[in-house]
Amino acid sequence: MESMNLNKHISGQFNEELENLRNHVMKMGGMVEQQLTNALNAVENTDEELAQEVLTSDFKINLLEVSIDEECTKIIAKRQPAASDLRLILAIAKAISDLERIGDEAGRIAKVALKSFSGAQQEFLLSLDNMGRQVLKMLHDTLDAFARMDVDAAFEIHKDDQKVDREYEALTRQLMTYMMEDPRSIPKIMDVLWSARSLERIGDRCQNICEYVIYFVKGKDVRHITREQIEKDILGNR
Amino acid sequence: MISIETQLRDVQRVDLANLPEEDTELSINQLNLYYADKQALFDITMRIPKNQVTAFIGPSGCGKSTLLRCINRMNDLVDDCRIDGEVLLKQKNIYAKSVDVAALRRNIGMVFQRPNPFPKSIYENVIYGLRLQGIKDKRVLDEAAEKALRAAALWKEVKDRLNDSAFGLSGGQQQRLVIARAIAIEPQVLLLDEPTSALDPISTLTVEELITSLKEQYTVVIVTHNMQQAARVSDQTAFMYMGELIEYSDTNSLFTTPSKKQTEDYITGRYG
Repeated sequence: MESMNLNKHISGQFNEELENLRNHVMKMGGMVEQQLTNALNAVENTDEELAQEVLTSDFKINLLEVSIDEECTKIIAKRQPAASDLRLILAIAKAISDLERIGDEAGRIAKVALKSFSGAQQEFLLSLDNMGRQVLKMLHDTLDAFARMDVDAAFEIHKDDQKVDREYEALTRQLMTYMMEDPRSIPKIMDVLWSARSLERIGDRCQNICEYVIYFVKGKDVRHITREQIEKDILGNR
Repeated sequence: MISIETQLRDVQRVDLANLPEEDTELSINQLNLYYADKQALFDITMRIPKNQVTAFIGPSGCGKSTLLRCINRMNDLVDDCRIDGEVLLKQKNIYAKSVDVAALRRNIGMVFQRPNPFPKSIYENVIYGLRLQGIKDKRVLDEAAEKALRAAALWKEVKDRLNDSAFGLSGGQQQRLVIARAIAIEPQVLLLDEPTSALDPISTLTVEELITSLKEQYTVVIVTHNMQQAARVSDQTAFMYMGELIEYSDTNSLFTTPSKKQTEDYITGRYG
């Protein structure tokens, strides 16, 4: 957001409000990233304590979402933002709801760490961890692109979501094989499967946030259109 | 049920650069205006669609009022004012020698910043233009007065006191009275020069509501300091800066995704 001239308004108050808003969103992004990191670490090391911490910290993210929403409402009511200011507020209001949901998914993943897995079952936790690290990097890059409102980076991440989807499919197939071989493992594997599903959803939400970055910079809504179209019609003149 | 196709079609924007002749009320072509040696308007070219509201915005001194005044030759009254280029009303150049300026102003009415009712009754104010045209038939005048006052959303408030002095009305009512006076002679175009800048917020909203309803019958061009007002009432917005037309496009895109940086800076309140 450095390149956004947030601080160029004639109204110093408005500059300050936007700056605060921006800081709060970045703080929320950092917290969500930490939650996902902790959740993955908890699963990797079967660290129940850390998993509990993830579950009990989620409320902070929720509170921040509500307070950022309130800030956005106030700015709209008082400043009647237009053009890029308006698009920034809308992008933020939408991004924080995706961030909050990513926080919830992190909680779901952490719950897996509270279950005990036998030695043989550890294997699929490893596959889950691989996918998790990939998604964590995607989230990190997304937050980075959002912070800098970097449209090129956002588009690259947007494309990368395919990889996460493929990983999810591969993992699902692997887990199904286990379930067929040993039906007694089904309850445990279902937990892993749900976590994988959560990771896949986080990928989708990162993709949404990248769409808001493109919307902010280019002024075009790129939801529900193909990547080829985005590249051709919207980013063609980059 | 409105089909999705219809809805999407409605969203399609008017192509202002290639507006078909039949939809164009006014065409301004390469208009330059000078006050003595000082050039105030630079090469303005734009088409104003009929039965729509077009707003001119820009900082003080950007030439928006000057441009508005060109449309009914108000600048003729200013000494040392020189104009080249043309302004076409329905394809006819209003600056042609053969044009009768008084007749032109009957076709292009104007309302100013401060309401300026005449020191007469409400009724006489409304039919003033008609009396000037020599109409004496009481029935015709009564009908015209009622029609104009209804169109100006003032009829209900004044119908029982038409013979009271216009000065007894509130500022907002006076401004609507002046609009009624302007539309009583049924012009094609209505020019509004900051029509609500002397009004309180509620009267402003009433006048804005009126502007929206007027476009069914008239082509409205409004100059306003108030950007939100332009955003609320207009279909097209022209942003002017230092005598130049910087950006002219449909209001929705201009206020969400302006294409020029100067426009962006102005509407978001940044240093120019």
